[in-house]
Amino acid sequence: MNRVMAAPRDRSTDDATTSASAAPGDAVVTSRGFSVYYGANEAVKAVDMAILQGRVTAIIGPSGCGKSTFLRAINRMNDLIPGCRAEGLLALEGEDLYAPNVDVVLLRRRVGMVFQKPNPFPKSVFENVAYGPRVHGVRGRRRLHEIVEASLVRAALWEEVKDRLNDSALALSGGQQQRLCIARALAVDPEVLLMDEPASALDPRSTARVEDLIGELRGAYTIIIVTHNMQQAARVSDLTAFFYEGRLVEYGLTDRIFTNPSRKETEDYITGRFG
Amino acid sequence: MKHHRPRALVRERRAGRLARLASFAGEAFLFAIAVGSATVILFIFHSIIRDALPFFRSRGLGEFFGGTRWYPSREPAEFGALTLFYGSAMVTFGAMVVAGPMGIAAAVCLSDVLPFGLRQAVKPVIEVLAAIPSVAYGFFALVVFAPLLQEHGGRVLALGTLVVGVPLAVLAAVVFGDLASGCLRGGARRAVAVPAGVLFGAACLGAVGAAARALHGMAIASGTTALNVSIILGIMALPTVVSVCEDALSTVGRELREASYGLGATRMETVVKVVVPAARSGILAAVLLGAMRAVGETMVVWMASGNAAQIPSPWWNVLAPVRTVTATIAGDMGEADHVTGSDRYHVLFALALCLLTISFVCNLVSEWAIRRSRRTGE
Amino acid sequence: MQLSTRKTMDRAFSGLGVMAILLMAGALAVLLGPMFVRGSRAFLFRGTVEHRRVMLELFGRGDRDEIRAELALAAEARRPLYEAIAQFEKELGEMDRGERREYGGRLDELKAALRALLGPFPGEPQPALPRAQYGQTRWDRARVKLREVLYATTYDYSDPAQMGVEVLVPRVEQFRGTSLEPIFAHIEGNAREMLRPRLTFYGRFLTDDSRDSHFFGGIGPAVLGTLYLTIGAMLVAGPMGILSAVYLTEYAGGGWWISAIRACINTLAGVPSIVFGLFGCAFFINILQVSPSRSVLAGSLTLACLVLPTVIRASEEALRAVPATYKEAALSLGATKWRTTFTVVLPACLPGVLTSIILSMGRAAGETAPIIFTAAVSLGAVPTLRQVFTHPTPALPWSIYNLATEHAAVDEIRHVQYGMVLTLIGVVLLLNAAAVVLRARVTRKLRG
Repeated sequence: MNRVMAAPRDRSTDDATTSASAAPGDAVVTSRGFSVYYGANEAVKAVDMAILQGRVTAIIGPSGCGKSTFLRAINRMNDLIPGCRAEGLLALEGEDLYAPNVDVVLLRRRVGMVFQKPNPFPKSVFENVAYGPRVHGVRGRRRLHEIVEASLVRAALWEEVKDRLNDSALALSGGQQQRLCIARALAVDPEVLLMDEPASALDPRSTARVEDLIGELRGAYTIIIVTHNMQQAARVSDLTAFFYEGRLVEYGLTDRIFTNPSRKETEDYITGRFG
Repeated sequence: MKHHRPRALVRERRAGRLARLASFAGEAFLFAIAVGSATVILFIFHSIIRDALPFFRSRGLGEFFGGTRWYPSREPAEFGALTLFYGSAMVTFGAMVVAGPMGIAAAVCLSDVLPFGLRQAVKPVIEVLAAIPSVAYGFFALVVFAPLLQEHGGRVLALGTLVVGVPLAVLAAVVFGDLASGCLRGGARRAVAVPAGVLFGAACLGAVGAAARALHGMAIASGTTALNVSIILGIMALPTVVSVCEDALSTVGRELREASYGLGATRMETVVKVVVPAARSGILAAVLLGAMRAVGETMVVWMASGNAAQIPSPWWNVLAPVRTVTATIAGDMGEADHVTGSDRYHVLFALALCLLTISFVCNLVSEWAIRRSRRTGE
Repeated sequence: MQLSTRKTMDRAFSGLGVMAILLMAGALAVLLGPMFVRGSRAFLFRGTVEHRRVMLELFGRGDRDEIRAELALAAEARRPLYEAIAQFEKELGEMDRGERREYGGRLDELKAALRALLGPFPGEPQPALPRAQYGQTRWDRARVKLREVLYATTYDYSDPAQMGVEVLVPRVEQFRGTSLEPIFAHIEGNAREMLRPRLTFYGRFLTDDSRDSHFFGGIGPAVLGTLYLTIGAMLVAGPMGILSAVYLTEYAGGGWWISAIRACINTLAGVPSIVFGLFGCAFFINILQVSPSRSVLAGSLTLACLVLPTVIRASEEALRAVPATYKEAALSLGATKWRTTFTVVLPACLPGVLTSIILSMGRAAGETAPIIFTAAVSLGAVPTLRQVFTHPTPALPWSIYNLATEHAAVDEIRHVQYGMVLTLIGVVLLLNAAAVVLRARVTRKLRG
């Protein structure tokens, strides 16, 4: 029922400096029989999936199909919701995330998140990006500056804010705020970047910039993006997973899923027969 | 960017344990402070009960709750607190007569009638009324209002009657005129409505005028009476009544109102028939909280109620001086402090215990009422 | 019912509501009007030369030479008066016994009234009380005393049905035909020269000590005492309230003990203020014995208990108003809950928390009942910072009560009472205004 990816098409370009551990194309996040329950309600049902290193994986599906829940399980943000529990295996590079003595703080250093609605802190631009590194112990002013600048460059925001580092982050436009949130997430140097509908609250131009940014980040980071916009999924992702009613229905190369889906539900969803 | 990835998901044993200990200690500290805040009320109950029991043990309950002779410093001392309870009840009732209708009417006006801009202009008035310290109200009651009542008492009451009565009479006249000619239409209607309204209005104004004239001639012996205190307490309780009432009315929500308007009801009909009934628990809570404020008030009654521990004769005579529970505690404590351990000292704690119990019960009832209004209003 | 009737009733209904609001506004105006008008007279009034003498001799303020020159001028205007009286006293010695007694009595009354107006006669020994050492310092009071000089109060008991009716008899009638007759015209005509009133702004009213139980001087000690009590209360209630609120919103799970804590705090909010006063006296002073008897410490602790529920409630509201996404973002970056609370949530809601603290300060400053038995005295010096743990202090609310009810010469110091009330109301309103301004900035800031 659930298909696991075969050999990927090589799309990576600048993967020379990726992690020593996982080579491009290796599975970095794996789930086996992974389920999430809200009380008695099973929101994610026995998902078997392998997210590949350095790729952009899109998760699509109608609302309420469990895609956000699955995403938030990867950095254990679901822990915040009372009554939420997980079963099965969800592993980052082989280590079970839900093992009893896993430190969530360390996990969230390695798996970052960008939210649907841009949520910069009511602090300055600099303070926003420096928050993560500070939390994890970086102290020196110059070192922080380096990290902040590098993150903002990576997020394609540096040119626009380099003179405004001490201004309030809330004064930026919506699109800029979202790129700031991306910079903030990048500042802690994660391996995996989770994006929960990152462009749905943005105007088309900002959306395009964020999508370009995702393309630039590919290879250096493993990106998992949840989106309800199929065209966006087709544009930015290498692999696509289709969730429906909590189950992973189909998973494969984006090109193939969108041109020649093997399951009827996938085809119905993509052609808009239901949404 | 150089990739500097920490490999482990699990902390080293010691660091992990230290971190967990620290976070536990932090949470325990916050918990201790929260518990500390909560225990204040327990200490209050304990101290008051502890010093009130000796009185009941030595004098019993009957005289305290049933006796009407309050002479704590006489030999033999008499502790009939019924007079004090009566005084408190009288001024509280008077205060709610003032604050209740006015407060509810004002709250309704604020929530449903006034446009947003005017509402923002009126809110400061209420907030200032709420912020003025009680001793300032007491000072006003004693130094400005009492002499006013004493010298021009009749005139002030007459003026008050006119100020309230004339607009009411005019409104009643207009409404009556309309009602009287209800079945007619057009020109005939106007021909009946106007004279009917004018006649009724004249009758009302005549009644108001007569009342005013009667009051005008009244001579008030002293300005420090239950009436003085009731009016001032009413003004003090107004902000509470208005704000809680307004909360209750807004909890009812737009949907209910829109449904009523959608059926073609006027604003008054919507408010009176739909909104107010839906919010009635909240309105009850508002009145109760206002009464609580009036009961617990000390300075105003201490300064301006006349401080005579007697039940007025006749019982409804608001122009007589009274003494309330709060004024007694405040007034007697200064002297009773010197005789710590005596009945005189302990009776004050007994009074305080009664006050505390009443406030506690009122608090519970009003919270239950507010919770009910929230549930039914949603 | 006809549509037009319904519409009329609708309009009548709105009219009722508007009437209620207008009545409220009217009540506020009637309340604050006299306070502001008469209270300002404590600061801005026509001060006589006696006032400037008080400032110089009791407070060391003013130009010595200038005042001496003025006093000389005033003495010059008063000279005929004193000479006439001295002359009359000589004549008194030569009268027969009956006349002497009659005129002697009237003269004594006249002299007492003159002393109240102008101060001790030249050559008389200095009285003990400062209030008797000077004449009237304010022109409005001087005019009242002037009337008493010019008119004697007698009672007419002729009508047996009524109480004695007060009758004012011009004193000039009492001395008709004597050598003292012309001085009354002189007094009436030259009152201004004798006292030399001038528009005075007494700003230091707020900081000066009072002399001779508020006859002279200002309300400094009461103001300072109120400041001590308020700040002391906030030092205790502020951190305790904020941390409790943090626990209740961020860390508390469900569970019966959380509801119990909340219930306790809500009950605390409904306790009458006089019960707090009794509690403070019985608990802090008698049981815990934080101080030998009344003290600023006990008063501050009692006031802190009073405002604690307000601080907790308002802080909880402010904490809840912080959007949950801030917390989520911080947690997703790997911050611990502790760090998130203290580096993201609290700073974001700080203005809201500050607003609640400022509002509570206003409340604490104005409360009387909690401090009656725990901290307040009517007269006395303000304790120094080191003494706050053991000494009581005067405070504005209690002094207002005291001056208005138990003071020996209530009418003489009306202006001081009004001045105190104005100061207290002014302080409270200022604090409230500051809180409103802060609140406006909070909403603007969080909305971005």
